Amino acid sequence: MIVFTGVEKRYGDYRALIEINAAVGRGEVVIVCGPSGSGKSTLIRTVNRLEEIESGTITVDGVDTHSSELDINRIRSGIGFVFQQFNLFPHLNALQNVALGLLKVKRMHRGEAQERAQALLSRVGLGHKAGAFPGELSGGQQQRVAIARALAQNPPVMLFDEPTSALDPEMVGEVLAVMRELAAEGMTMMCVTHEMGFAR
Amino acid sequence: MVIRFLPLELMQGESGQVLLKGLLATLELTALAWLLAFAVGIVLAVIRTSGLKGTDTVVGAYVAYHRNVPLLVQILFWYFGIATLLPMVVQKWLNVHGGGFFAGAIAVGLCMAAYVGEDLRSGIRAVSKGQLEAARAIGLTFVQSMRFVVVPQALRNVIPALVNETLLLFKNTSLLMAIGVGELTYASRQIETQTFRTFEIFAITTVCYLVISIFIMLGGRALERHYKVAGR
Amino acid sequence: MLDILHDYWLLLLIGQYPNGPLGGLAMTLILAVAGILLAFPCGIAIALATTSPYAALRTLANGLVYLVRGLPLLMFIFWAYFAIPALLGENAPGVLTMLIALVIYESVYLAEVVRAGIEALPGGQTEAARSLGLTNMQTKRLIILPQALYNMLPSLLSQFISTIKETSLGYVISVNELTFAASQVNSILLTQPFQVYLLLAIIYFLLCFLLTAAVRWLEKRVEQGRRERKVKS
Repeated sequence: MIVFTGVEKRYGDYRALIEINAAVGRGEVVIVCGPSGSGKSTLIRTVNRLEEIESGTITVDGVDTHSSELDINRIRSGIGFVFQQFNLFPHLNALQNVALGLLKVKRMHRGEAQERAQALLSRVGLGHKAGAFPGELSGGQQQRVAIARALAQNPPVMLFDEPTSALDPEMVGEVLAVMRELAAEGMTMMCVTHEMGFAR
Repeated sequence: MVIRFLPLELMQGESGQVLLKGLLATLELTALAWLLAFAVGIVLAVIRTSGLKGTDTVVGAYVAYHRNVPLLVQILFWYFGIATLLPMVVQKWLNVHGGGFFAGAIAVGLCMAAYVGEDLRSGIRAVSKGQLEAARAIGLTFVQSMRFVVVPQALRNVIPALVNETLLLFKNTSLLMAIGVGELTYASRQIETQTFRTFEIFAITTVCYLVISIFIMLGGRALERHYKVAGR
Repeated sequence: MLDILHDYWLLLLIGQYPNGPLGGLAMTLILAVAGILLAFPCGIAIALATTSPYAALRTLANGLVYLVRGLPLLMFIFWAYFAIPALLGENAPGVLTMLIALVIYESVYLAEVVRAGIEALPGGQTEAARSLGLTNMQTKRLIILPQALYNMLPSLLSQFISTIKETSLGYVISVNELTFAASQVNSILLTQPFQVYLLLAIIYFLLCFLLTAAVRWLEKRVEQGRRERKVKS
C-alpha cells in the first residue's frame, strides 16, 4: 500500500531521512517509534507530501505522491492524516469540519455531505456533538472529530502523527479505542506514537 | 462677537439640500472605496502569503508607495496626473459624468487597500501553520484553504484593526473636496461661502461626521462580539 | 521630469523665499517638527488626564479623544481657519492655522502612544514608587515617564512621519508647503501635470521611506537597550 524506496530528506546539510526502504501492506498497521528527533514525524509527513523529499520515491496505492505531474490535492483526499495538534478548524463546528472535504473536494451536495459527516461522527462516538465548536470540546473529543474528518473521503490509508501526545492521560484511551476499531476493520494504518501499550 | 445658532432654520431650503447631497456623496464614496480596499487588500495579503517568487517585492512596493506618499498627493496624482494619460474620449466622458467622484473613490480605495492588506497579513500570520496543513491534508487547494480555513480566521483576528481602517477611510473621503468632489466637507464650505453662517454650518457638519464615526465604532464592537469563536 | 527638478528645485525646496514667505519642503518640515514638538507635551497631558482620578478631567480628555478620532483632519483645519481670526480679532497667517490644527490632532494620537508606552511598563514600578511614599504625580514624573519615553521613541518617530504627510493638507488652505509649491509649478508649466505630481510623490516617498527605515533601526536599538538593562539588573 505504502512503499518507500531510497527516500532521502535533508534540511540544509542535515540529513533527516537516510536511505529509507520500507513497505506497509494493505490492511497492515505499522507503528513507527523511536527517540525524539529521529525523524519519525518527518517520515510520515513525506507520505502525503507535507514535507518534500530530495531523492527516492514514495508510492501510495501505486501512485508516486511526489511526482510533479499529478494533482496533489486528489492524492491527499485519498490519504487520511491525523495531526498531533488536532488542527480542527475553530470557526466551523464539528459537523462542518468533517463535511468540508466532502463539499469542496468531492463536490458533494450539502445534504449528502452532512448525512455522511453525521454518520462518521456517530462512528467515533460524537454524533451528539455535531453542532459543537472545537473550543467547546475536550482534547480527546477534538482528536476523535479529527479522525472522523480524516475518514470523510473514504481514504484507503490513514496516517497518524503522534495522535495522543497532546492529550491529557484520561483522554488517550478514547482515541486509542477508535484507532483499534479502525485497525480491526482492516484499515491500512501508519502510526507514529509514544504509546507503547497501543503498539503491542 | 455674537454667535447666532439657528441650525434648523438653516437646514430648510437650499442649504439643507446641498448638505444632504454632500452627506450622501460621502457615504457613497466610503462604500465604493471600502469595497475596493477590501477586495484589493485580500488579494494583496493572499498573494504575499503564498510565497511565490517576487510577490514579496511587488506587494511590498505597492504598500510602501501608498503608506509613504500622503493620500492627498495620491489623489492629486490620480486626478491631475494619471487621468491626463487616458485617451481624450475617456477624459471627456469622465468630465461629464463626474470624473472626480470615481477617480477619488479609486484613489482612496487603492490607498486603504495597502493598509487593509498589511492588517490581513498579520492576521493570517497569527493563524497557526497547522491550519493550512490540515486544510491541504484533506485535499483542498491553496486557494480553497485560504478561502475556507485561513482567511475567515484571520478576519476574526483583525476586526479591531479593520474597523479602524474603515473609520480612517471614511474620514479620508473629506480630502476629495480638493478635486471638487461634492462630498460633505465640500458642501459645508460651499454653504458657508454663500450664507456666511460659518459656525452653524461647521457645527452641523461636525455632528454628521461624529454620528457616523460613532456608528462605525459601535458597529465594529458588535461585529467583534458576533464573531467571537464559540468556546474561547 | 529631471528638467522640472532642475528648473524648479528652489521653488519646491523653499518656496518663494526671499521674495515671499518661506515655503516648499522647508515649510513642510518646519510645520511637521513644530507640530510634533508642541503636540508632545499636550499628548502627555491628555494621556495623564485620561487616567486621572478626577472624573471631570477624564471625561473632558476622553471627549477630546473621541472628537479627534471621529472628525477628519480637514474639518479641524477649517474650524481653525475660521475660529482663530475670529478669536484673535485679526487675520491669522495660514501657517499658524495649520500648526494649531496639527497640534490638536496629533496630540490625541500622541496621547495614545504615551499611554501605550506607560502601560508597557511592569506594574511593579508604580507599586514600588508608591510604597516609598511618592505621590501619584511624583511617581508619574520621576519614575514612569522617563522609562516610558525611552520605549516610545520609535512610535514617536512614526507619528512624526504621519505628521509630515498631514502637512500636505495645507494645500487646501493655500499654505505654502511642498504640495502647494508643486501645484504652483504645475500651473506655471500647465502641460506636464503627470511629471510634476509624480515628482511630488517621489519626494514624499523618499523622505518618508528613509524615515521609516530609521524607525526600524530605532526599534532594534530600543529592544537591545531594554534587554541589556534587564541583564544588568
